[in-house]
Amino acid sequence: MSADASDLSLVRRVQHGDKGAFDALVLKYQHKLVKLVMRYVRNPAEAEDIAQEAFIKAYRALPQFRGDSAFYTWLYRIAINTAKNAVVSRDRSPIEYELDRSNEESYDMQSRMKDAETPEGLVLTDEIRSTVNAAIDALPEDLRTAIVLRELEGLSYEEIAAAMACPVGTVRSRIFRAREAIDRRLRQVFEGGLGRAEEIG
Amino acid sequence: MNEELDSQLSAMFDDELAPEQCELLARRLSRDEQVKSRWGRYAVIAAAIRSERGVSLNPPLAGRVSAVILTEPALSGSAAAQGVRRAALRWWQPVAGAAMAAGVAAVSVLWLRAQGPLSGATLSAQRTAQTTAPATADAIAPGQGLSYVVPRAPAARAVLVPSTTLANYVVAHSMVSSPVARRNLLSAFMTSESANAASESITAAEEPHDVQANIP
Repeated sequence: MSADASDLSLVRRVQHGDKGAFDALVLKYQHKLVKLVMRYVRNPAEAEDIAQEAFIKAYRALPQFRGDSAFYTWLYRIAINTAKNAVVSRDRSPIEYELDRSNEESYDMQSRMKDAETPEGLVLTDEIRSTVNAAIDALPEDLRTAIVLRELEGLSYEEIAAAMACPVGTVRSRIFRAREAIDRRLRQVFEGGLGRAEEIG
Repeated sequence: MNEELDSQLSAMFDDELAPEQCELLARRLSRDEQVKSRWGRYAVIAAAIRSERGVSLNPPLAGRVSAVILTEPALSGSAAAQGVRRAALRWWQPVAGAAMAAGVAAVSVLWLRAQGPLSGATLSAQRTAQTTAPATADAIAPGQGLSYVVPRAPAARAVLVPSTTLANYVVAHSMVSSPVARRNLLSAFMTSESANAASESITAAEEPHDVQANIP
């Protein structure tokens, strides 16, 4: 299996004028990129602005992307440079995200106070998180282990197969089924609006 | 979408799908809004599992980026190829610059040598004229033809250390030097002696003589 084939196939489409393929790349990496930028700026709204700028810069620079490195590595560098420039231009010193992780409760409070997101947005984020957690808890053991090893530990299918002593095809199927089960609940939250998670639960 | 395609989408999200299948699915992903929504929810699930604190799980980011991208000109295949070509050419731009600078420098040096008041050729010609003129003037006697005097060969180099001194040195140090070093020194001494004798005989044979170059 060639690493990054998925991103590369989307990148090639964008390079040939398919803007819809770039949406898929943004959807896939937006959370990661915002989290990355938050190492430099504390405010999530500001981090989202910087991430947006980084995505647009990446789109404009995509004709120069040759696939020598993974797409995310390339995007990561653009985001870091954009964040550093933003910090310098606003005359702020970079703040390490990890610094406040020792007191997570205090960190949550701080980030919420500075968050420019609407209260509905905050509630929705909480609701999504609780829905996903509830859905994971409800999964059969083999599905839960497979999805957690993939998403939390970042293991490849082959590594998960070795860890769970099963074929790679089974891992692929388990991860897919786990995602489908979680997605079924999540879709109801997105489609039904706030408060649906409690009803589903 | 059927289950097989959904399963492929999940594998593609994890970078675990074969490249040729990725190509086919990427086309569908970029066009089908339902597939794109599902793809987006997979990313939300991943972010929720990773508990990315402070990160909104439903940010307006994707919509905002998409809106900006819509106003941008679409990248064409030729633009992408041009970009790759430009990137490929970029490495030798400094080399070309350096070559051009070297070329300009070489042309300047040649031009200065050609335009200068005393070029190397002129200078050597003048020197030759100055050195040969008195000799030829002395050699030509009135009523005689022109003649050329071969200059005297330079004297053999003086031996810096007289042979006797060197022999004394060898004898004096033979007690403390190793046999090999002593033998080397003695052979060097003998060689220098024979060379001196040869150079003396050559010097005697090369007395200055006139070469009559009669010019009518």
